[in-house]
Amino acid sequence: MSVELTELQDSARRVLDGAGLAAAEEAIWAQIVELGWLLVAVPEALGGLEAGIPGASTMHAELGRRLSTAPYLPAMLAVDAICQSDLVERDSWLERLVGGELITASLAECGIRANGNRLDGTSIGVQSADSASHILVWTACNDVVALVALDQQGVEIVARPTWDQTRRLFDVRLASVDLADQTILAEGADAGVLIQRLLAQRDFALAADAIGGASALLDLTVEHLQTRVQFKRPLAMFQALKHRCADMKASIAAAEAMLADGLRRVGDSLDSADARHKSMGAKLLATSTFARVAEDCLQLHGGIGMADEHPCHLFLKRSLLSEQLSGSANAYAAELALGLLANTK
Amino acid sequence: MKADGGIEGSTDSIESLRQDVRAWLRKNVPAGWRDAMTNVGQDSFVALQKDWFEKLSQAGYATPHWPEGWLGGGRSLAEQKVIFEEVARADAPRLILYFVALYHAACTLFECGTDQQREKYLQGILKGEIWCQGFSEPNAGSDLASLRTRAERRGDRYIINGQKIWSTMAQYADYCLLLARTDNSGPPQAGLTYLLLDMKAKGVSVRPISQITGDDEFAEIFFDDVEVPVVDRVGAEGEGWAVAQATLASERGLTLVELTQRMRYALPMLVNTMRERGCQDDPVVHRDLGNLIVNVDAACALADQYLMKRISGTEEVGDASIVKLCYAKTLREFSALGVRVSGLAGQYYSGFMRGATQETGNWTLDFMNSYNWSIAGGSNEIQRNIIAERMLGMPREPKGWQLAEGKA
Repeated sequence: MSVELTELQDSARRVLDGAGLAAAEEAIWAQIVELGWLLVAVPEALGGLEAGIPGASTMHAELGRRLSTAPYLPAMLAVDAICQSDLVERDSWLERLVGGELITASLAECGIRANGNRLDGTSIGVQSADSASHILVWTACNDVVALVALDQQGVEIVARPTWDQTRRLFDVRLASVDLADQTILAEGADAGVLIQRLLAQRDFALAADAIGGASALLDLTVEHLQTRVQFKRPLAMFQALKHRCADMKASIAAAEAMLADGLRRVGDSLDSADARHKSMGAKLLATSTFARVAEDCLQLHGGIGMADEHPCHLFLKRSLLSEQLSGSANAYAAELALGLLANTK
Repeated sequence: MKADGGIEGSTDSIESLRQDVRAWLRKNVPAGWRDAMTNVGQDSFVALQKDWFEKLSQAGYATPHWPEGWLGGGRSLAEQKVIFEEVARADAPRLILYFVALYHAACTLFECGTDQQREKYLQGILKGEIWCQGFSEPNAGSDLASLRTRAERRGDRYIINGQKIWSTMAQYADYCLLLARTDNSGPPQAGLTYLLLDMKAKGVSVRPISQITGDDEFAEIFFDDVEVPVVDRVGAEGEGWAVAQATLASERGLTLVELTQRMRYALPMLVNTMRERGCQDDPVVHRDLGNLIVNVDAACALADQYLMKRISGTEEVGDASIVKLCYAKTLREFSALGVRVSGLAGQYYSGFMRGATQETGNWTLDFMNSYNWSIAGGSNEIQRNIIAERMLGMPREPKGWQLAEGKA
């Protein structure tokens, strides 16, 4: 990790630790904007840090550790899509984003179609849509990527409360939205390439977020076991519990190694088939690891884990949602298996 | 650190080594070795290992970790990694009959031996002398330091009495790396001494252990007043524990790079079984296979990352335990999925392949063999203790508990 990136990580950890777990969305978002975290992956020529997806991944992991409520992930997708585009007004769009205007995006399956010059359908799993000016949409047929203003005719935003209390999701319904009035970032084959790139980034980001969450929760759990005394000894002394913690530690390390390896091998070729494959694998492993870790950590907390005042449930709920975001764990596992089947003669 | 290949060689030279090794393996890996090892006697296995050792060692690929000046020696860890990766990629036989000689014995001698010992034994190893390891005992497995085989000093000799177990291929070994007790008075680790023992010496007897798979790759060794000259002691008397740590650290994570990659290259075996059993379209199997694929990829990534840490000198306590634990668990899942997919057909006995090859496609055999990695070399439970106590800082169990009189 470069010196700049290590410094950024340290400062992120300081800031987020200061704010506390699942801190208020407005406050965290304001920090993200003020500290320039949206510029982490932006090329230097456009005024960014050029730390690439590994840089972004570091930030996602730090935000995941602290159960960030801010829509950093979709905003980073929008920033990248704009950087990749050859929009004439690219710089002014970037300025607006860096200044705090939110362009959000879907964290789930794509439900938007282009019918001639109209956009229709529902984009689900859109984070913090009520505080965004636009949504970054791509079509299911991979033929258009566009920024769609949310305050226009034919756009409806519906809140979808989730068990997860750390992220706010919305459905965004588009009914005959005229493409000509939207900001087109890519069309045709270019759109297909850009969508591949965005999907790979989204999965790597969800993986990093899950690894951050799982690590923080394991730390919290070991701390609980160290301090809670029963049968005249700290729970952390019981081998049955130590072994479960060791297994969790090993699983998290495996998911982390897989993510780092995927990022290293993919490098700048984020739109390749290999990147898609590696990002799916990283996302599947990291989010299911987070969910299994959260499941066991609540058990290890005992009764207090069932109390709303204790943060354990916040991790559990976030992990269960993350496992279903992007492609679900089952869908991704099946897709990876089919890939192996197709490649085995 | 460079993205690929590490800091010890330029990317170009690493890549050209990779191409050389790949080309050499393409020409030299014995065709049909898997069939030749299936349902045959142990002698056939040993003959194949000998041939393979000769080829590999003459090409310099058996001893890349030896110092410069030795045949094939002086390779950086990054270069050694390439050789292990290519051996896995080519699905070459594992050189297990010679592993203790080439790694454990040689590295111990290079690190802790005397000039006289190096002169006496290293040439022999290059010529194909076989070594075995005499560490574990029937009552000293995970608790290795409690071992009881005695070495009593008499003049310029030690007299050995006792028993070792789980010694790989000891029935074919010329020499044994022996850890024996010379002192009972202090803490268990303090009274151990490290000796080089001639397996042809009077009083040594070996009994192969008939395993649950049908193979007999491990053996028990019995010592009845066996004499070992004091000049064959490695390190000082009572310093054996430290020497043994050097022995165990000698392969430096390379084996797990090779094994995890072999597991990845063997994934198509599962696909073949799925097709044979007609369940290639079963969504339940797809889900299990997909989850296995990511675990296999993660085990490869972990082993790779661990070796890179060793190359860059950033290894931390517990890292090795995590890699070993993940590999052992993933190998179990891998073979267990094979067993599930192969159904009743997998339960019909079809014999076995020799040589501790982890992936044979005979899934019930592979499943049983997978315990080699969750029990040997520090069981999963020991690795979990290390991770919990040394990485997570969880307290050790209180000492001082005593077994009741007459129980052991």
